[in-house]
Amino acid sequence: MTAPFVLLLSLLGIMLNLGLAGLVIQPDWSAALLLASILAQRSNWVWALPGFWVHDLALHWSSLVCFPVVALIPFFLAKADARLGPGRPQRVLLMFAGLFPLLWIGWSFPQWLLTMMVCTFAWYFIARPNVKPA
Amino acid sequence: MSKHRSPLRILAWSGLLLILLISIQQLPFGQRLNLGIAPLLSVLQAPGRWWQEASLWLHESSQLQSDYQHATIRLEQQGALIQEVKSLREENQKLRALLGIQQISGYNWHAAKVQGRSPDKMSQRLILLVDRAAPDDVVVSSDGLVGLVDLAKSGSAVVRTILDAAIAVPVTMPDKKLAALVRGQGNRLMVDFVPIENAPEVGSILQTSGAGGMFPAGLSVARITNVEPIPGQVFAKVDAEPVAHWQRESWLAIASATRKAVQ
Repeated sequence: MTAPFVLLLSLLGIMLNLGLAGLVIQPDWSAALLLASILAQRSNWVWALPGFWVHDLALHWSSLVCFPVVALIPFFLAKADARLGPGRPQRVLLMFAGLFPLLWIGWSFPQWLLTMMVCTFAWYFIARPNVKPA
Repeated sequence: MSKHRSPLRILAWSGLLLILLISIQQLPFGQRLNLGIAPLLSVLQAPGRWWQEASLWLHESSQLQSDYQHATIRLEQQGALIQEVKSLREENQKLRALLGIQQISGYNWHAAKVQGRSPDKMSQRLILLVDRAAPDDVVVSSDGLVGLVDLAKSGSAVVRTILDAAIAVPVTMPDKKLAALVRGQGNRLMVDFVPIENAPEVGSILQTSGAGGMFPAGLSVARITNVEPIPGQVFAKVDAEPVAHWQRESWLAIASATRKAVQ
């Protein structure tokens, strides 16, 4: 259920980014949601990565913006989880890494910061159903 | 079955994926995707349009009367200006003929509504709502050159602005013997082939030279922001910024070359 919902929201986010750019400062909705779903559950990369590819193509006309970096995140996340145990620090670090190309491609710093915030919120909400009570 | 995959295999798959991505980089997938999304953008922007239309109904009649009077006065002023422009145009053509400056004529001008923009700081790409547009049509704002139509289909067109590295614009300065090339660098412009002794001052405006026939001559393109001579080199390092501000413009003009001009 999460996958179609997040993918639909992500498409809406792409439309918001294209349709309202220049009018209001807005985060990269799509990147925030897709990255949050990978951070919330590693196995979500199966549908989130194609979403990232579409995101890169629609907003930047290139496959080489966020996609190559985000494609490495599930791999590094698995390695880090195996070594350090599942936890937040490595995920926060990888969130920075995954969204860093936005600054490089010309997004403003406030937009990037907003994207980080949306990603953190989305990560919390997507991960919530998986959290088992202690 | 082993759960751990060999790092070599992962590396091979990653390399293959990267090669695939690089090889499809030149295909216009993004442009086609933008053209596909364009009708959805129209739906998304519908509430804004409805609000604008509804707000007209809420205007008081006295306000409308005053608006009408202002519009009538402006129309009269514009009529006089149009006359002046016509006589200036004729004079300009005669002067150009006398000076032997090549005039590129044969462009059809029409308006296009901006439907979407790429969300980066400088909006390097635009989506326009336009009926008649073809690839390589020139897009212009009231201030100067914006870019070129990259792909057009069923009432929409996607535009690469001059900030895109794929576009190079031949430029000159009206009062100088300068033949340079403006290239996009993402957030700024770079002016190539500017000889140090002929370098324009900071703040000067570069115009299209018309060389190559792609862009009509005389359109403002870039304002020089920095000129830096490089020791031992013939050409200076010149940075510039676009004259046109398309980040907030709702309407732009498209110049389509007629067949005669293309030939």
